[in-house]
Amino acid sequence: MGMDINTGALRKNAFRVTKRRGITASRVRIPGGRMDAKLLGEIQKIAELYGDGTVHITSRQGFEILGIPFENIDKVNEALQPLIDELDINQEKRNKGYSAAGTRNITACIGNTVCPYACYNTTEFAKKIEKEIFPHNLHFKVALTGCPNDCAKVRMHDFGIQGMTMPQLDKSRCVSCGACERVCRKRSVKAITMVNNKPEHNLEKCIGCGLCVVNCPMRAWTRSEKKYYKLVIMGRTGKKNPRLGEDFLKWADEENIIKIIKNTYAYVTEYIAKDAPGGKEHIGYIVDRTGMEEFKKWAMKDVHLDSETIEYDSIYWKGPKY
Amino acid sequence: MGYIIENKNLDLLIDKLREDYLVYAPMRYKGQGEFSDTDSIRYGEIKKASDLELEAKSEHTFKEILMPISETLFYYTEDEVKVAEAHNTKEALVFVRSCDLHSLSRLDNIYLNNGFGDFYYKRLRDKLKFVLIGCEKSYDNCFCVDMETNKSDKYAFSIDIRDGKAYFDVQEEALLKYFESVESQKADVSPLYVTENQTRVKLPSPENIDVNFINDHELWREYDKRCIGCGRCNFSCPTCTCYTMQDIFYQDNGKAGERRRVWASCMVDGYTDVAGGGAYRKRNGDRMRFKVLHKVYDYKKRFKDNNMCTGCGRCDDVCPEYISFSNSINKLYDATKGGRDD
Amino acid sequence: MIKNEYIPFPSTIKEIIKHTDIEYTFRMSYEGEVKPGQFFEVSLPKFGEAPISVSGYTNDSVDLTIRKVGKVTDEIFENYVGDKLFLRGPYGNGFDIDTYKGEELLVVAGGTGLSPVRALVDHFATNIDEVKRLHIVAGFKSEEDILFIDDIKRWEKTSNLVLTLDKNENNYLAKTGLVTEHLPNISFDDISKTVAVVVGPPMMMHFTVLKLLEIGFKEENIWISHERKMCCGLGKCGHCKIGDTYVCLDGPVFKYTEGKLLID
Repeated sequence: MGMDINTGALRKNAFRVTKRRGITASRVRIPGGRMDAKLLGEIQKIAELYGDGTVHITSRQGFEILGIPFENIDKVNEALQPLIDELDINQEKRNKGYSAAGTRNITACIGNTVCPYACYNTTEFAKKIEKEIFPHNLHFKVALTGCPNDCAKVRMHDFGIQGMTMPQLDKSRCVSCGACERVCRKRSVKAITMVNNKPEHNLEKCIGCGLCVVNCPMRAWTRSEKKYYKLVIMGRTGKKNPRLGEDFLKWADEENIIKIIKNTYAYVTEYIAKDAPGGKEHIGYIVDRTGMEEFKKWAMKDVHLDSETIEYDSIYWKGPKY
Repeated sequence: MGYIIENKNLDLLIDKLREDYLVYAPMRYKGQGEFSDTDSIRYGEIKKASDLELEAKSEHTFKEILMPISETLFYYTEDEVKVAEAHNTKEALVFVRSCDLHSLSRLDNIYLNNGFGDFYYKRLRDKLKFVLIGCEKSYDNCFCVDMETNKSDKYAFSIDIRDGKAYFDVQEEALLKYFESVESQKADVSPLYVTENQTRVKLPSPENIDVNFINDHELWREYDKRCIGCGRCNFSCPTCTCYTMQDIFYQDNGKAGERRRVWASCMVDGYTDVAGGGAYRKRNGDRMRFKVLHKVYDYKKRFKDNNMCTGCGRCDDVCPEYISFSNSINKLYDATKGGRDD
Repeated sequence: MIKNEYIPFPSTIKEIIKHTDIEYTFRMSYEGEVKPGQFFEVSLPKFGEAPISVSGYTNDSVDLTIRKVGKVTDEIFENYVGDKLFLRGPYGNGFDIDTYKGEELLVVAGGTGLSPVRALVDHFATNIDEVKRLHIVAGFKSEEDILFIDDIKRWEKTSNLVLTLDKNENNYLAKTGLVTEHLPNISFDDISKTVAVVVGPPMMMHFTVLKLLEIGFKEENIWISHERKMCCGLGKCGHCKIGDTYVCLDGPVFKYTEGKLLID
């Protein structure tokens, strides 16, 4: 009997059509890139029982279990259940594996549980977004990074989230050591100048990296109680016009960012090219077509930005055009 | 006189004390640590019992109450000078652990007994009474036992909190009334103290220190690169006393301004700069040597007193480069080959 | 109540004597006791304080020779228009004139180092019978850097004085070379008993003392004055501390036997 496989359904189920006939691979999503180490055992088990015993660590912080014959797909899906449960992935039907693949795994840098520079718990926020937007067939790439250093390369995503803190200065605790001014000048954006032997902070220039806080020996600089984010949008890799995402919101909050990402699904559904190959089109190309104003009309629905949030009106993307 | 008070009645005691005193103690400042989602433990004025942070070791000390981090000395106009008021004129109770209580004598020596007496220090010092926080256990990096500061005998009162109760030994008679005024139980109480630390130091004997030999010793060179000269060790030290004078002028009236003194660190660039661009101790290892000798040799020699270092270990707690001060004392001991042997 | 030592007092500028483009002596009204080598903290509101050594004094004045090298002194030279300065002091031990009475005395001064010893030299040059002999070696970088030239000319009459310039391109009436080059040429009555006072930049002091020891001076007969950042002058701020010594309290004048231990 010849193999009769619906490749569309296969792909949607997070399996890959590989170059070898009859052999697939299963993509395991790890939102926020962090999981209990015991789950590695589950992955190992699937690879050894149903695949060729190897896995590839994907560029989106997942695992791809390789060398799986098509006939093992159902068993793989069943075996994936502990991973899906443990990682709390939204699912339409139990034991049927992943319900969609279009909206990619949400990646995150290591975040503030480990890194001294990160401004928030990136994994936690990634999981929160995952719960809101997955499963969905639309091709959305979201990534989170703890600080403006952008180790997670979020500017190459449709939505990139960078952690920020709004530095607070208690001048009475300042000893004029100059550490904040020096580190900001040498490693960040020169948002601090010394006036009368104490730092003056230029909030407009400040990117919220928090290096002044980390380098202050006195707790004169502290982090804002509230956590802030920069939202960069419509970056992408790809063939026609790869480009870095541009700043859309600065000093934004978590809830509104989630709202904007969710709202964008409706916008894409409305405007995606009807003839998009594989029903897949980077959101940026759609925005290029409709214009930023139309995008904002949809994305900013019911979004009430905090008074400190800065919204950039005119955004111009660069990148080579082929 | 000893008292035991149920934790739930502590607020009442603090209310009573606050009628007459400012109460300063280690507090937990949520989210104000160096890193995201970490807290800062430092001194502040407490309003209620739950403000007290008696579990964790503070990263900064009580000294900022006695010698404000940035203290205005006087205000001036073109031809007039006006002494700044003290930041508080009320009497205050300051909660400290034994090591820190010992450090008080070091601050007193520098500010009151080294040449001139210090007007600003004295006027704050006269307002303070000290409350001993008992130590049930030794913290990371503490070496109070070897520095002989693990026990204190003189305090206004002591406090130990365990099993839902607070234990007080009240030495200052004037304070007895506060304890009598709340629901309390009389008992024999003596503050807890530690008798051993994991961190041990061997102190070099002063007679074994040959300044020429030690100053040129290879041991300091390691710190030239390891130390980043950030000054955290000094700012967290309960016995560091240095400051720098600063004049500032008001931006709206360039002819008026103030002179203040601001904490200084012998590890931070600029400390030894002289007019004309000269500087001494340019290498961080030399600054380390200056600091270590100050804490375990120079001070002792000058004041014929204890060592300046009280073994609180905060310098080790806060060093971002994991430089251990206690280890540097031991290295100094080894370099001098001899001294007090335990 | 402890006296508030931090509060400066106003002092009228009685006279300004210009030595070079960057060195002026301010003759300030002052009526207290003072010794050569002591220093005042001179403050100019807005810009801070600078320790300035006493280069001379009378019953109602002190001379403060200020070199334009820092923030405070720059301001005094360039913008100051008032008729007074605020002072604190005098601080430090200074030179005790009695110590040197009856001795054969050598004073070696380099550059601005002449300021703190000027009053000492002036005292003995004027009362030459109070010392056995007085030798003075004063070195400056060049003709333009010479300080107290009128005094030097006067001192020459009673003492054995060597004025030397590191560079003497215009053949100014002085010797050429570093102070150390001239020391071996001085004829001392008894080098082993001669008392030396050495003041100047750290390097100059270092090599001068080495040379003195080499030609037969005894360590205990040498006096030096240390330069340090003296920020408070009160033994508090810590900046001038070397070992267990606070230069502002215990110095700046030290017997070489003690001073040599102050290494940094």
